[in-house]
Amino acid sequence: MAELVTGTTVHSRSVGDMAIVYAGDYLNKLSGERIERECRRQLEAGCRALIINFRETELVNSIGVSILLGVIDAAERTGAQLIFSDVNNQTVQLFEMLGLTRHVALAKDEQEALATLNEFASPQRAAGH
Amino acid sequence: MPPKKQNNIGHGRPILGRIAPEEFVGRFDALAQVMRLAAPDAHERGLLLLAAPAVGVSEFLRQAYDKLFRENSEAIPIYFALNLNDRTAQATADHFLQTFLQQFVAFRRQDAGLSRASLSAPDLMELTPPDDYEWVERLVEAAERLRAEEDPRAFIRLCLSAPQRAASSGAKPFVLLDGLQLAEQLNGASLSLGAEFAQALMQSGGPYVLAGLRRHLLDLVHRARNGNEFAGALRLESLSDEEARAMVERLARRDEININDQTRDLIVQQMGGNPLYISALLHAARENRVALTSFRNCQQLYVDELMGGRINRHFTSILEEIAPQAAIRRSLIRVLYESSQSEGGRAHVDIWRKRLNIEPEQFQKIVRKLHVHEFASFNANFIEAGNDSLVWSDYLHTRYRLEIEAEPRALVVAGILSETLKRAPQTMARHYRREAALGLRELLERFNCQRVPASLFHYDRFNRTHKGMEADELTAALDAETDLVRLPQVVYAASCASFYPPIEQVCDEERCAVANGFDAGQYSDANEVVWIAAEIESKLEVGRGVTEMWCDRLMQVARACNFNRVRLWLVSSEGFSEDASELLNEREAYGSSRQQLELLTQRINAASAAMARQESAPDEFEMVIPMGDDTELIAAHTVEQIARRVQFQPDAINQIKTALIEACINASEHSLSPDRKIYQRFRLESDRLVVTVSSRGVVPQSFNGQNGENKNGDDVSDSKERRGWGLKLIRSLMDEVEFERVDDGTRLRMTKYLRKT
Repeated sequence: MAELVTGTTVHSRSVGDMAIVYAGDYLNKLSGERIERECRRQLEAGCRALIINFRETELVNSIGVSILLGVIDAAERTGAQLIFSDVNNQTVQLFEMLGLTRHVALAKDEQEALATLNEFASPQRAAGH
Repeated sequence: MPPKKQNNIGHGRPILGRIAPEEFVGRFDALAQVMRLAAPDAHERGLLLLAAPAVGVSEFLRQAYDKLFRENSEAIPIYFALNLNDRTAQATADHFLQTFLQQFVAFRRQDAGLSRASLSAPDLMELTPPDDYEWVERLVEAAERLRAEEDPRAFIRLCLSAPQRAASSGAKPFVLLDGLQLAEQLNGASLSLGAEFAQALMQSGGPYVLAGLRRHLLDLVHRARNGNEFAGALRLESLSDEEARAMVERLARRDEININDQTRDLIVQQMGGNPLYISALLHAARENRVALTSFRNCQQLYVDELMGGRINRHFTSILEEIAPQAAIRRSLIRVLYESSQSEGGRAHVDIWRKRLNIEPEQFQKIVRKLHVHEFASFNANFIEAGNDSLVWSDYLHTRYRLEIEAEPRALVVAGILSETLKRAPQTMARHYRREAALGLRELLERFNCQRVPASLFHYDRFNRTHKGMEADELTAALDAETDLVRLPQVVYAASCASFYPPIEQVCDEERCAVANGFDAGQYSDANEVVWIAAEIESKLEVGRGVTEMWCDRLMQVARACNFNRVRLWLVSSEGFSEDASELLNEREAYGSSRQQLELLTQRINAASAAMARQESAPDEFEMVIPMGDDTELIAAHTVEQIARRVQFQPDAINQIKTALIEACINASEHSLSPDRKIYQRFRLESDRLVVTVSSRGVVPQSFNGQNGENKNGDDVSDSKERRGWGLKLIRSLMDEVEFERVDDGTRLRMTKYLRKT
């Protein structure tokens, strides 16, 4: 399992062909764009699945949400899976209100997200071999 | 020189000025330029003060007089204003001589009171210091002799020679001559009084200022012999917004008139920064004891001024001077108003002559005076009615309705009042848009062959490579770019509407600019280039359709103006979509976002800072935060602390915080706020928390008349539109949401009820 940090402030790490991107404490336009940039970078690098971890995120605003929709679109275009993990109740409520949860799966934590992605990927890998 | 026995200069009290020096607003540079003429080593001797109508040139000169008097240097200030009460050239010259000698003696004795006193000739001679006695006595005696001989021409010339005679005796009089445009009406004795004055001062050897309406003064000086000897010209225009705001505030403070920022700004915008109109309105407020704390009060007072106050008297007296006969004046009002309403306001001179139905000579006089007072512009065979002054337009409209349409006075008052009230938000919105415009013309003017990163002109490239970077990282990335654009040397830039007026139908004047220049600064046909730049209003990336429409519009401008080689440059706040960027590339046009423009501006010149103001109220939690830089988080943390005091549940606190953040973002994004501040009040009641968020500026269309309801009633979660969710969220998170009516900007009140579990 390779661990790395990229970008100036957005932390991420790779787990096989998956990547975990860590959101900061406040998701707004600027921090949202940083996450988007990092996600796009990972997707361009061939990443097959993305987890955005919101464990540090206390507040999200509507512009941040709109940028997350852009990330969802980008993931869909490349056929990559996307899961949001560690989302606090307040943010879940916000995502539901704005219809985000229709397009992305939520996981309790990173482990659950990884497990879900591995589960989903296994039959495909098997088929690929 | 006589001994200076006592100094009676009033210590800061005005001498000839009508207001105290510390209350005199702006004009610092202009005043300094006048004062420089008094310096012993001054290169220039004369100054032509070209004043726009009613911009306070007389008070400016009186302030200069007071300052020169107090400085008590070598230069002896003499202020004289031509006055129609003198009726003839001879009486005017006589008055000038009397004023000259009196102010001369007042200065010599450093007795300010003498400047304003009414002295007889014997009084004057008695007060004249011994060193000056001889030449003063000779001058007074010669004047008496010529008066008795009834030789008006010789008498006038003698009187006007006073500065030269004083200078010959070793004194240094500094004449400040005001109201030269009136000289024509005082002409007599087959001479031009204005030209005589100009010539006498030019020959005096001392410093002087000739002041008058700008359109008149240049002609006058041109007619005077050696008129081209003038070394300098100084233009006096309306006050800047900042100066006008300061003037309103000072007058309001002095006269104890209640006022607020919103009404202050409305007054400034409506009066166009004109000190005469501003002071007229404030005087009226003081006299009528009206608080200028709402747009309604301001406009009521303003309409009163138009109907019969100082502003009315100002325009009425000028019109009476232009057309003394009532019937002709009435026709003139009709022609002026109807012409100003026609498209372009421009008509052939023959049409005016026919409509006024007067003799050619009289017609010429009237048209010339209209031109001098800037009620119309006379150019070759055309007359263009109207000017940019809202006040003049309103006055003319009032007179037209009263005198031509013969409407009842009450109907006119009601109509004009309603119109001005309805117009007020538009006047302010126009001002805010002007303030918020990116300043393309000013930026283009500074293009001078600089090399800048090409990504600043290609949104797609910038978006791909630089978006989301930290400021330092971005600067470094731009610095490292090797693909550079060399800007042309711009030699002339103006609003697009100046080149092609129809463009004003689709965008504000300041949002589209044309710059003529040369690539690489090489002045050749091959290098000649015209940049046409436009700012597109959009809070999202601009799509291909809109981009194409703008490219076509700007190309239409290029064709209409016969520009051969053009560079189109579109600027949109959030940049351009991928297919729009493709189109721009296909057409070899540039496209930038606001961020790119700001980076470009930084690289070309320093950016200006926003002004700050603050309001306060003692009985509530109040907070003012600047827009941007995540300051909404500070507000959110503050409201959290306040909500905790009445035991809101954590979920509710989070909801309040999120709603407040959205309200702050809305204020920042939509308002074009002039002060870039968000004003917040937090009021705790036993069962609720009421949060009020307000900002000055433009009211978003979606908020107008809907009390914030989503116009199409869509559930935003189903909408493909990815912005504009703020209000929906606020409504979902708070119990009550309401827009309160304010004169200026928006105020959102949000209530959350306490539900204890």
